[in-house]
Amino acid sequence: MKLKKQFADFYKEIRIDDETHALRDKREVLQADIKAKLPGILEDHDITINKSDIRLIDQGSYKYHTTIKADVVDRDVAVMIPLSTSDNTDTRKIKGYLRDAIDIPARTVVIKEPCVRASYYEDGKEWLHIDLPLYAEDGDSVFLARGKEHSSDYSWESADPEGLNDYLCEKINGNNQLRRIICFIKKWRNEKYSGSTSDHEIPPSIGLTLLACDCFSEQSSSEGDDDLLSLQKTMKGILDKFSYTFDGNGDLIRTISRSLPVTPYTDVFKKMKDSSSSYMTTFYNRLSKAVDNLTDAVNVESEHDAGEYVQKVLGESFIVPPKEAVAAQAQNKREHSFG
Amino acid sequence: MTAKEILESYDEITIGEQLCEDTLFFTLFEKQFLFIAPSRDDLSSGAEIYLYNDSFLDYPHILLRETNITEGKVLPKGTYRWVCLFEQDSIVNSILSYDEKIYDCIDRLIELLNMSSVEKEREFQKEFLYYWNSESIGDNSFQIYLDQDDQVAEMDVYFSKSIVRLTDSRIALSDIEETVKGERRWMHHIEKDAFFIPIKDCRGVLPPHRGYKWTAKDLHEIIYGKQIEHISDESFEKIKTLIPKTQDVLLVFGMRTETTNIAFALNMKCKNRVGHSLLEKILTDITAVEPMFTKRKDYSYLSEQIGNDIGAKRKKVLLVGAGSLGSYVALELVKNGFTYLKIYDDDTLTEENTLRWAYEGYGIGASKTQTLKIMLEWLHPQILIDSCNKKLDTESLTEELKDTDIIIFTIGNSDAQLKFNKVLNQQVFTKPVLYVWLEEGGLYSHILFVDYRKPGCFECLYTDTSGEKVNNRARKNTDLAAENGMIRNGCGGTRAAYGTSILLKTTAALLDTLHEIDRNKLTKNTLIDITPTRVGASDIIFPMEACNCCGNNAE
Repeated sequence: MKLKKQFADFYKEIRIDDETHALRDKREVLQADIKAKLPGILEDHDITINKSDIRLIDQGSYKYHTTIKADVVDRDVAVMIPLSTSDNTDTRKIKGYLRDAIDIPARTVVIKEPCVRASYYEDGKEWLHIDLPLYAEDGDSVFLARGKEHSSDYSWESADPEGLNDYLCEKINGNNQLRRIICFIKKWRNEKYSGSTSDHEIPPSIGLTLLACDCFSEQSSSEGDDDLLSLQKTMKGILDKFSYTFDGNGDLIRTISRSLPVTPYTDVFKKMKDSSSSYMTTFYNRLSKAVDNLTDAVNVESEHDAGEYVQKVLGESFIVPPKEAVAAQAQNKREHSFG
Repeated sequence: MTAKEILESYDEITIGEQLCEDTLFFTLFEKQFLFIAPSRDDLSSGAEIYLYNDSFLDYPHILLRETNITEGKVLPKGTYRWVCLFEQDSIVNSILSYDEKIYDCIDRLIELLNMSSVEKEREFQKEFLYYWNSESIGDNSFQIYLDQDDQVAEMDVYFSKSIVRLTDSRIALSDIEETVKGERRWMHHIEKDAFFIPIKDCRGVLPPHRGYKWTAKDLHEIIYGKQIEHISDESFEKIKTLIPKTQDVLLVFGMRTETTNIAFALNMKCKNRVGHSLLEKILTDITAVEPMFTKRKDYSYLSEQIGNDIGAKRKKVLLVGAGSLGSYVALELVKNGFTYLKIYDDDTLTEENTLRWAYEGYGIGASKTQTLKIMLEWLHPQILIDSCNKKLDTESLTEELKDTDIIIFTIGNSDAQLKFNKVLNQQVFTKPVLYVWLEEGGLYSHILFVDYRKPGCFECLYTDTSGEKVNNRARKNTDLAAENGMIRNGCGGTRAAYGTSILLKTTAALLDTLHEIDRNKLTKNTLIDITPTRVGASDIIFPMEACNCCGNNAE
């Protein structure tokens, strides 16, 4: 099996097992602020909820243990409150109340389209943001507050955050190879989109995670898990899910869709597609190149050459083993005796 | 080919000034290097490379110290930093040609300068202590003694002349009370606070190196990292509760990389704030971080360095017999992971036996057990020897069983061995017992492993198939050879004449047997013969079914 150790080392290098104490402290203080202040602020606007009514639900990669190292730590915690959506139709206001509850100098708080974001800076550089999607529990239904602060486009969108958690936990927990493959694909995305400036240009983590779960190809041999082959087959599977159409100019447009597995069953790539059709084509082309490189890595005999192909996909943190001839020669020259 | 021709074959290299045939400058990746070719006359020599006039490059393996040439007679004026491209004694230079040595050296340099950040980090961590100690402040050397390297621990601080011992409070060092000319050698500084903190994830933890000094930020990152959890929850909770008494605090960090187990000490200088926890001090009070020259010295660490079984450290061994064999066995036991020995022997060392006693020249006329205690404890202060200058009797043995993990008999007295065997059999002693003895003549020896829950005991060797008592059936020596191997002392006494070879072989076989026992590979009671040509299971009948002690004829 090729590159077994290199993949194991690479995973050790990029993985984030759990929250750090610094992150946990920030999150817990933030959550405490929400519980302490939000009921009062809502009360001021004639909305009555108790502190105990507020539910804070862990979400995202920390929940599924698929977090990888990144320049900015990205944490997701859903805020769920009992609320009549018909009486409180303006999601922007409700999100504003949440913003007010947590807006202190220690954090920078902004309202984003799907959430309220609390960012933390040190020496003028953002090191952490905690995204707080706000959900209303209205009868038996749950709705996500969508819309930017000053946008005319806002709504309550039917949602099932806990259902999504259950779906992904069931897929990922207990499947360590899948977990690693998701991390590798996210690392590939970070490498290839490191120069991107627009959020919507970049394939979202949830999209990549869902596609990786759909297309995951478990690969192992008597020597253990074969992560190279699994990654190649999984990414090839994702590539094969792309379809194509032609635009008005007759140019080929590549596209991929993946619906959320729970309410509202919307396409997780919708924003990417709506922003620019070229984003999807770029995504396809970059993925296609990665698959080519991984296929070459699978097919070449030399472990060194295979490592070089993989490095093109996963970046320089993936360590290429020495050339076999060099390694053998070095072994021949090694001092094997000692006294 | 000449050195210059070989270097010219690399596209990346531009040749500079040539000082003589084998010494020249070249430029690679915009850095200037001095190259000294291997000597054509000395096959064991290798090529050497120095970074020239660059004080800032902070690659691993480019040494921190620089040589400054001001009177440039042979070499041009400037600073030279040696590039360490080979691990010491890692290459057999004599089998390489002149050309191969140069190609290998340049290939390594190119590889070094092309390292990714992850590779650089690994290389820095491989040599962490070199960099750490190179940046150390002050003249004191800090010796670290850890009990366990995975838990936060409070440490005791002892000062000697230029050595500071930081010892885990749970460790007792046998020499800590030592006096020299009436003065205590180690002074316990109770006013100094010191703590050990284990790092469980060392990603990103780099030693100070050129242009990179440790500051409060480095400690914040370890204790309160933003992205990587460097210390465990347990450690974090513990340092929240520790309240240092002193303004400044000594900290020792420990971490395992892929290849090394590192401990490094630092002095954390702090603002004078009363009542702050160690966590608060680290996060808010630091004014300076001073690396200290560090050496880890505890027995577990040293034992790990030679591949010993660390688990043996906590096992208590009862060693009965401190004669020639016992002295060799005792010495090797403490080198192989066993730190607590209780040794019984009532004998004193005589001149005639000094050459086959493990510590020749020491302790003549003195108690063998007491001499062993002094010598073995001198080896390492965590070794603890309980010396009993008396013959073991059945009562004492029964008492010792309560607190013993392994018993090793290194006595050659059948009556005593049979007597103790009976006691152990009656008690159904559940821990391993090893009878080790030499045959007269010094050609053969034996090891009998007994677990008294299983068939087979020492008395089996003295029993025939009908249950009659006979002399030791394991014996391989002939009577003639035995007689030739005796030296008489003129008053009816005798001395078996044998050298140290049998002692070394038997001790080695015993160590192997202990490893087998530890790995549960010895599943039944076994007699092992050591002969001049082999070590292996004996072919005599064992266990003996008719044994009066453990077999069918037992009472």
